[in-house]
Amino acid sequence: MKNFLIGVVSPFILIPFVTIAYFALGFADTRSDVPPPAWETAIMKPAVRAAVKRSAANMSAPGAATEDSIIAGGKLYVRGCMGCHGEPGKPYAEDHANFPPIPQLPHVGTQYSEPEIYWIIKHGVRMTAMSAYGYAYKEDQLWSLAAFIRRIDKLTPEEIQTIQPQKH
Amino acid sequence: MECGGSPPLLRLPPKQPLTRAASRRLTNPPANRPTGKRVGEANVKAFLQGFAVGTLALILLSLLFLETGLVDIRADVAPSPLISRFLDIATHASVRRHAPALQSPLPLNDEQTVIAGGKLYLNDCVGCHGEPGKPSKFGATFYPPVSQLAQTPTRYSEAQIVWIATHGVRRSGMGAEGTSYSDPEYWRLAAFIRRLTQLPPNVLEAAKAPPATSTNSAQPQPDEKK
Repeated sequence: MKNFLIGVVSPFILIPFVTIAYFALGFADTRSDVPPPAWETAIMKPAVRAAVKRSAANMSAPGAATEDSIIAGGKLYVRGCMGCHGEPGKPYAEDHANFPPIPQLPHVGTQYSEPEIYWIIKHGVRMTAMSAYGYAYKEDQLWSLAAFIRRIDKLTPEEIQTIQPQKH
Repeated sequence: MECGGSPPLLRLPPKQPLTRAASRRLTNPPANRPTGKRVGEANVKAFLQGFAVGTLALILLSLLFLETGLVDIRADVAPSPLISRFLDIATHASVRRHAPALQSPLPLNDEQTVIAGGKLYLNDCVGCHGEPGKPSKFGATFYPPVSQLAQTPTRYSEAQIVWIATHGVRRSGMGAEGTSYSDPEYWRLAAFIRRLTQLPPNVLEAAKAPPATSTNSAQPQPDEKK
């Protein structure tokens, strides 16, 4: 019984030690131009999903999204997010530069609710290229961005036209 | 070659399920029975069983921790000094291990090389990595925060900088620049970044001087005026 217990405890010491050594000795690949292995995506994606769900659980949008707020969000998206997350109405064009890859929102849409999107934009996602934009937008801008992104894969051509920057 | 089966010398005694009484006998062998070897064997077996259970438990607990959303994923909370240090060590070690020790085709100490690199840097990298006297506010909103190259001298060699810029850094804001730059451009950039904390004022001035052709940077620029 004593040996069994020693056996149970030892992985809790050994495995973290080996893991840290693996990283500290530089065996982990740093290149971001290689797609993540399937197992990593399978673990990390639901982990992010669950963390966002838990964090934004008690949040609700200050009001229902209106056509105006969606358009306002769209204009902010075009200016601030499109460079990485993709342009509405354009063919799929991911640049495969980041690890984990950046979701091309106009094509894949989002599973997240508006409060969850608001929370992600505001706080960012650790260990990804998604930085925290809380400092860059006002509260109502964050909410209108969330309203827009929530619907980003179901925009009408008129909406896509409306959010384009005005050219003079 | 081994058609005769395992050599008889290595054949172990047949394994029997261990009853509680038997295991007690094994751990406390009667003085008149020489069972030292079997005690050792049972000990090892118990240890290995425990090890398997412990490993499984560790994996399950880790997955449980991850998949129930207990991990803080906010990027606007700075990493703890311990985590920062660990990430830094791991990245540095990995780059040292993986980046090929290429020779620069350009004279890296040449002022023109550094100035040309500076022009590229001030166009494309400065938004996240900052410039002398002006750390990037945007770079600080990433987790881990973007290294402020003008404040903290880089530990990487030019060849390593070229490799990092080309391939990016996984799980950070550093994307792979890939074919965005030509080979000489990468070396110019690296030469500049390597010397960024100790630039002679005239080099910095020359790099800042127009005409700075604006190639559009891939990073989104949030509206900071708002």
